[in-house]
Amino acid sequence: MNLGKLIRLSRIIDPSDGRSLVVAADHGLMLGPIKGVVDLEATLRKVIAGRPDAILVSPGQARRLSHLFMGREAPAMLVRIDWTNAFRDKTYTLPARSIQFNRVTTVKEAVKIGASGVVTYLFLGFDREEEHAAMVEEFSIECKTWSMPLIIEPLPMGPRITKANYVDMVKRAVGKAVELGADALKVPYTGDPYSFKDVIEVASGVPVLVLGGYKALSIRDSLEVVSEVLDAGAAGVVFGRNIVQDPNPDEAVRLMRRIIHGKETVTDILREKIKPPVRILVDVEKCSGCHICEFACSFIHEKVFNSSLARLRIEAFEDGRMFTPYVCTLCYSCVNACPNGALRVNSKTGAVEVSPELCQGCGVCVNVCPARVLKLINGRILSCDLCDGLPECVKWCSRSALRVEGGW
Amino acid sequence: MSLSGRGYVGSIIKVDLSSGKMDRVTLPQRDVSMVLGGKGLGALLLYNSTSKGIDPLSPGNPLILATGPLTGTLAPSSCRFSIITKSPHTGLFLDANCGGFFGVEVKKAGFDAIIITGRADQLSIVVIDDGDLYIEEASWLKGLKTIDAEDKVKNKFGKEFRVLTIGPAGEELVPIAGIFTDQRCAGRGGAGAVMGSKNLKAIAVRGRKPITVYDPDSFEKACWRAHRRLRMHEVTARSLPVYGTVNIIETVNEAGALPTKNFKTGVFPDVWKISGYEWRKGLWKKDKACFGCPIACGKLSHSSNYVVDGPDYETLWAFGPLCGISDKDAIVYANWLCDVYGVDTISTGVIVSFVMELYERGILRSEDVDGINAEWGNSEALLRLVEKICKGDGIGRELRLGVKKLSAKYGCEDIAMHVKGLEMPGYEPRAAKGMGLGYATSDRGACHLRAYTADKELLAYGGAVDPVKKEGKAKLVVDYQNEKALIDSIGMCFFASFALSFREIGEMLTTATGLPLEDANTLRTIGERVYNLTRLFNVREGVKREDDYLPRRFLKEPMPEGPAKGSIVELDEMLDEYYALRGWYGNGVPKPETIRRLGLDEILKLEN
Repeated sequence: MNLGKLIRLSRIIDPSDGRSLVVAADHGLMLGPIKGVVDLEATLRKVIAGRPDAILVSPGQARRLSHLFMGREAPAMLVRIDWTNAFRDKTYTLPARSIQFNRVTTVKEAVKIGASGVVTYLFLGFDREEEHAAMVEEFSIECKTWSMPLIIEPLPMGPRITKANYVDMVKRAVGKAVELGADALKVPYTGDPYSFKDVIEVASGVPVLVLGGYKALSIRDSLEVVSEVLDAGAAGVVFGRNIVQDPNPDEAVRLMRRIIHGKETVTDILREKIKPPVRILVDVEKCSGCHICEFACSFIHEKVFNSSLARLRIEAFEDGRMFTPYVCTLCYSCVNACPNGALRVNSKTGAVEVSPELCQGCGVCVNVCPARVLKLINGRILSCDLCDGLPECVKWCSRSALRVEGGW
Repeated sequence: MSLSGRGYVGSIIKVDLSSGKMDRVTLPQRDVSMVLGGKGLGALLLYNSTSKGIDPLSPGNPLILATGPLTGTLAPSSCRFSIITKSPHTGLFLDANCGGFFGVEVKKAGFDAIIITGRADQLSIVVIDDGDLYIEEASWLKGLKTIDAEDKVKNKFGKEFRVLTIGPAGEELVPIAGIFTDQRCAGRGGAGAVMGSKNLKAIAVRGRKPITVYDPDSFEKACWRAHRRLRMHEVTARSLPVYGTVNIIETVNEAGALPTKNFKTGVFPDVWKISGYEWRKGLWKKDKACFGCPIACGKLSHSSNYVVDGPDYETLWAFGPLCGISDKDAIVYANWLCDVYGVDTISTGVIVSFVMELYERGILRSEDVDGINAEWGNSEALLRLVEKICKGDGIGRELRLGVKKLSAKYGCEDIAMHVKGLEMPGYEPRAAKGMGLGYATSDRGACHLRAYTADKELLAYGGAVDPVKKEGKAKLVVDYQNEKALIDSIGMCFFASFALSFREIGEMLTTATGLPLEDANTLRTIGERVYNLTRLFNVREGVKREDDYLPRRFLKEPMPEGPAKGSIVELDEMLDEYYALRGWYGNGVPKPETIRRLGLDEILKLEN
């Protein structure tokens, strides 16, 4: 790689650890005025407070917001140099019926406005692949001329992509991007670390940054993805909506930084917020009666699927039209009622613990449990241990009907 | 190595209603490793236990309920089971897939599948209470609506029972009768009539056995990643949870693909009155999930006298745009009538719209239809006709036989909207040609869910394709049919699979079963095997190229308006390409080398 490229790339990917956190904020060009990018300056000011390595913007926003990229602490600027309609799905007034693309600026122009790198798509799986590749090849030549790092975003896209060939097509698209001269890659996560390791192998040493896509349900989910892809060998992420649409973009960036550059684990970060007692809150309105929490609880503790082994329960009312989750409310009626002193409160979480040596299996505790979640099965008391502070039922509830008080 | 405890229970229960005998048999491991479960397993059992020409309503036609290896696990939306039988409506293969809680309960009770044959002397109920199995007479359920029957069964046997039941229509052997559970429905193709023909009103199941998998720790991780994926996908995290399946209706209309007035056009001007947004702020009061589903596409509509789980997109379309109607209250009531009397909403809506077009043409007059003014857009006419179809009252006795039989009587076959006798669902073939080819080649007759190419043609998930072009559609349909056949064979909901690749699904299947299923191509081949298997069943029944056809309207009448204006379906050209890609002869029969390549000669009792 030539010197100019190396110097620019070092502004994007930190040479000290080879990692990078890029915030994508070019959505307005492809998706229109979505949440978080309407008053982009305000959002990016918050984002920058969290200290990302780089921010990806459209050429127009790069010019308009150039002042945000000035100064020694400022993030590097990445400029999107192409456009496509391919992401216009049915949520848009005009869903794409055939895939269009074109360039929106030149690499020379990107140099002029102070970019440290340019980003382009490369689609595989539609009928204009040759044209698309030819456009990217032009970018590649321009980038060489101007010593500008070229970040290619290879994506399976179009009628030939199916569930069955998706992962394979990601690999092929990555391979093609490498061949076309990518200096770094922006790649979709294939969903599991095993296949993603293969993708990284195909990248043959070209740094892989993982894109975020739709906003995750919680920051916990997106942090997990970050951690998982780093373990698989990625150099970092290019996350957009998971940051700019977060209520606290600065906090989101800080947390991701801690994982990417600080090498902390998600569990470490989540645990910081745990203060006893860990109280599970229930929102009856949000419960859809899917019983996932029961199965998660049973499986985590007993390795089998069986709602009757769960430490919480969902009850249906009104002929199955209303659902209420019942969880351990930490009322400690059971602890007080136990004649053998076999139940005690865990000081770290506030959960009720059973001492198998002291427990006689008399069932007094079960009878006094007002939520009827304490169980006596085959002489063994099943009590909610709050999963050591990070309850699995809360993690698996996709509707946030269960959450931890003060938690994520 | 047995499959027992590895996603599978390892056991099938055979119920012979004629003799009252019930036998447990071991799940055939080699067969299962080739077709997995659900649709695939059911199709295999059906093929091998019947012979050509069997009367669908005879005791010998088995009614098969089959779960998949993921049913009743933490894999997202894995509550599904399939009902497989020979359809009385089409005389061909039928699989009807259903959610809710019933399939999970069957597995908890210790069975992967239930096979019901024979005919009871009197109306009966099969009760599976964990290990305890018995058949009881059920005259106390005679003529009851689905919801009332379910209530009564639960009151008698226990609230924890999950109940599968037919309505009065199933008892009366109506060919569009479905099978119901928990306000959900295995609706299409008349499985309810097969159940009725066996004098079986209901099946009640309660189970207490744990469901286990091969490698719990890896399975949990794979499931969690899949759940997280669903939570990060537009369809499964935003569209379906908020607006249910109705979320697409405006987009389909914008593409000129929303069949309106019996498919005369694909544009419905009043669509905004029935959009997901309108339902959300109006009648929908609660989201209701099937077992294990993070999506909860079910929406409960509350009216003063009843609650309906719906309407979903298809029901809304069939009673709405298809009949020129945008009256939400009428649509909900029609939905409720069909659910409680136990008939398929899609077929019912298509029948009503057929009547309305015959009325417009003057072929049917008001006096021919019991004095009903069957004009387009008349919601009172809709409700009266639906009620007559449900109750078999007056003209309803004839209407409930379906549009194929009606068109044989009244002529107008070119506008009878069915394929192989099954009424057509809510995507206009001229405006989405993959859907058209999918209907023509679907194994159970006109069905949108055998190859849901609409997601690429109309909704543009993961890449757009020109819906009006015919090029490339054969390949798209083959791929989608194979992939859907796989999904229908594992116990997972199609909607969850929107967010997942086969690699992610394979990870869950492998860790659940211990079978080598991580490779996407292995899964695709299983799907292809299942689709060829159902084709062989239909070929044995005499299906040929002529049957893989669309109503003449789509082939000859150009689309009058909208983005697809002027379009007709070039079906023959697409069919040639489709058969070639499938490895079938030009007449639609699978070639021997295709059958061998898929190993179907090893598992099927082929005649020669």
